[in-house]
Amino acid sequence: MKKYFLLAVFALFLTSCRKENDTYEGVSIQELYSDFLLLDNFKVDKDSVDFANGEKATFTAKFNKPVNWTITITGQTSKAKKIITGQSKTIDVSNGQWNGSTTEFPMFSKEHCVAQLTIDNVVDTFTVSTNIKSVKVNPGFIVADFENGFNPSWTKFVQSGANMDFNIKTDSLCPQGAKYLKMAGTVNWDYLIGLIDFPATAYGTPKTFPLNSNPDNVYFNCLIYGVPNTNESLVLFQFKEDEDGNGTYNNATTDDEYDYQITVNWSGWKLITIKYSDLVSLSNGQPATPHGNSVHNPDKLAKISMLHLANPANGFASSKLDYIIFTDAPLEP
Amino acid sequence: MMNLKRSFALLASVFILNSAVAQQQRMVDFVGGARSIMTNNQLMVHDSLADTSTVKRNTGGYALIDLGVNIRPNSTTEILGTFRIRNNYGGFWGAGVTVDVRELWLKGIIGNIVRYQVGDLNLKQTPFTFYNHHADRFDSLPSVFALQNDIVGYEKFYSNNTWRQQGANVDFGFTFSKWIEEINFSAYTTRLNASNFSTIPDRLFSGATVNIVQSKHFEINYNVASVFDVKGTASASNNFHNNVNTVNTSYGSSIGALDWKISGEAGQSDYAYSEAPDESDLSDYFIYAKGEINWKAKHLSINGGYLNVGPDFRSIGAQSKDVNYSALTNYYERYTNSQSLRPYSLYDLLSNDAIYNTGISTSTAAIDASINNVMPYGIATFNRVGGFAGLNYSNPKGYYLTATHFMLNEIRGQGTTALKDLNSTEINACVEVNKLLNFKKTIKVQGGVTYMTTARSGNITLEDVDLKTTKYQVGAEVEVSKGLDLLFGIVSLDTKGNEFIAERNQYTVADYFNKVDYKLNESITAYGVRYRFDSKIYICGLFQHTKYTDDMHTNVNYAVDQFSLIYNMTF
Repeated sequence: MKKYFLLAVFALFLTSCRKENDTYEGVSIQELYSDFLLLDNFKVDKDSVDFANGEKATFTAKFNKPVNWTITITGQTSKAKKIITGQSKTIDVSNGQWNGSTTEFPMFSKEHCVAQLTIDNVVDTFTVSTNIKSVKVNPGFIVADFENGFNPSWTKFVQSGANMDFNIKTDSLCPQGAKYLKMAGTVNWDYLIGLIDFPATAYGTPKTFPLNSNPDNVYFNCLIYGVPNTNESLVLFQFKEDEDGNGTYNNATTDDEYDYQITVNWSGWKLITIKYSDLVSLSNGQPATPHGNSVHNPDKLAKISMLHLANPANGFASSKLDYIIFTDAPLEP
Repeated sequence: MMNLKRSFALLASVFILNSAVAQQQRMVDFVGGARSIMTNNQLMVHDSLADTSTVKRNTGGYALIDLGVNIRPNSTTEILGTFRIRNNYGGFWGAGVTVDVRELWLKGIIGNIVRYQVGDLNLKQTPFTFYNHHADRFDSLPSVFALQNDIVGYEKFYSNNTWRQQGANVDFGFTFSKWIEEINFSAYTTRLNASNFSTIPDRLFSGATVNIVQSKHFEINYNVASVFDVKGTASASNNFHNNVNTVNTSYGSSIGALDWKISGEAGQSDYAYSEAPDESDLSDYFIYAKGEINWKAKHLSINGGYLNVGPDFRSIGAQSKDVNYSALTNYYERYTNSQSLRPYSLYDLLSNDAIYNTGISTSTAAIDASINNVMPYGIATFNRVGGFAGLNYSNPKGYYLTATHFMLNEIRGQGTTALKDLNSTEINACVEVNKLLNFKKTIKVQGGVTYMTTARSGNITLEDVDLKTTKYQVGAEVEVSKGLDLLFGIVSLDTKGNEFIAERNQYTVADYFNKVDYKLNESITAYGVRYRFDSKIYICGLFQHTKYTDDMHTNVNYAVDQFSLIYNMTF
């Protein structure tokens, strides 16, 4: 027994002496750290792109070694930016395609765009240009983009504080379309500065918003602007369901309310996205139990309330809001 | 779990005994622990411009209690549920209070044959199938550092190289009167991640061991460990699997005063995604063989062996790391005027549970070449071949010495056909002075040093690698009065040279090599006073000075002074 065992160990030892002297794993270090060469010029496949009809622009280039690269596409009128990054030897359809979406707001408009390719540790940059024939269309249900002013079926309440401004604006800050909502003021006795109710009936639907019944397939999105050097705002969205189908939301007894409170502690526009099933019920900012069946039912959503809040002790607070939209996947604006 | 090889007879007798005792014992026990840590910290940033952005001083801490309810409804069933209540100091009206379920399991025996446990499990199998290697851990830590390091282990459920999992396991065995003494079976299934019903499928980890004990001299095991996605649990169809099959065995006997043993393990792995590129379909084998001679009369044992782990050998249960070098430290997380992320230091490695994992990962965990470049995934590190030797001297009079040396090479080059030589030497020693001098009160001196080298002579100079790491720790523990200890210790890490660190994609394939130069020196000096109320309760005041110096100026140098008051008890 002992003999056989030792023999087996010895045989294993002999067969296991291996080295792979003629192959290596990964990219050649020699190539990786050689001088950079552009083998195929940086190009775009379309002079004009019809994003609304699903067209995409594909950027291509080829290098002599894998590099970290960045393509920055800038709208020459809107100044919108789309940034695509990668690490590869080639840029092609697999990693260099643009569907018209935006990384830095505002969103792109029908305009001339310049794409600049920069490469880590390479001084030279490369540019190409293209035109947007039509902008990207985001499928979903738009609650408010303020392009047509205030819907008369919305309900607005604004406190009578100082420097109150709860109005639709048209200026160069607009991230989508031409208009957005500005919310600002000083209310030194209450957190609430102003609110807007968006009832489902304002959209021609009988009682509820036309949303999927599966809360995992419904995403709520909006764009919020944090005003630099201004006190922190809180933007609270309340999602009020009509559980019993009686046409009204009743918080005290039978209906669920879910909430999403956003602390606006950044500067500039930011995309906010949350899955409907991730919404929680809040009471004065603290987790609470909904009063209905405690089941997320987006298809029973009857009203959305948007409240602009701020700590009364802090004084003036301001933020901006645009493009409130439900989608079936996280919005890629 | 898998090492508990018990026969049916043994299991039956244990439970018969248990049931007899249970008649007289309470059916419900409370177990658990409590801890309070208060800290006062001071950060010093040695930047060319004074750092005016970082708040340098902070105080904080927490108190927690882990309350476990151990219920034995009958003689063959046991249930444990542990709740944790934690309050951060400074929490206002309970705002900092959290209540969690820390542990929940149920175990028992079916028909006096099959033992089972469901819920939380601490699992390990073999070093190549399922094992928490703690590869970057400082062995033989002085007591002054072990206090906080033990808390990290407790928080992350690290015990004896196990990983904490949730699932079920069973084991049972049979005894025989002829040819074979025992055959034992054990198996487990755990859930690594839950499906999100779209992109992430349910991922399970299952394993089994068949253990055949021929005699007290010879035993052999067959092990299988398999991680796999459950088809149909997500709309995405890129399913993952990693199967590892191994055989391990040991044969031992005596020659005169010497006990000797030969042991080893060999096996094969297969790692693939169903819709990934072909090059991500990896399969390979490993061989590990070890011989040991134990001279009991002289308290000396020596060992030597051979290790060959293929470059494409993947075993996520054995190659996951306890340290997550990508994690945020949650402690002076950002510093300098530019508020850059503070690089983790020895302090984080020894005391900060925020950078430690509880679970295993299917991708290759990030390594830190400055800490361990030779075997970052323990002996299961892929792409290593070579030998090792070690000795262990343990004199009951009060002095201990262990030494190990690994002399390894790569099997396949990384970005070049030239191969690296990797060597590691580790020596740890401890002297219990009180035993030597016949004192009753503890006087203990500990020390250890680890020296690691990585070298590659490339086909061109650019490919050359030369990296040297020296780690040492020394410490002392002196009991000045009954239960009252003075503690002291230093740990240090010094790394110099260069290395190309592989960036691996989600399929564990290297797709980039980052050239990194090191001139790094880190140290912690610590002093402490501890009072032990008994073996399970202590209070300790601890002062630590941590120093981080990166002379390549990749990171800004810093130091941290910390005073902490730790109260710890288990019950």
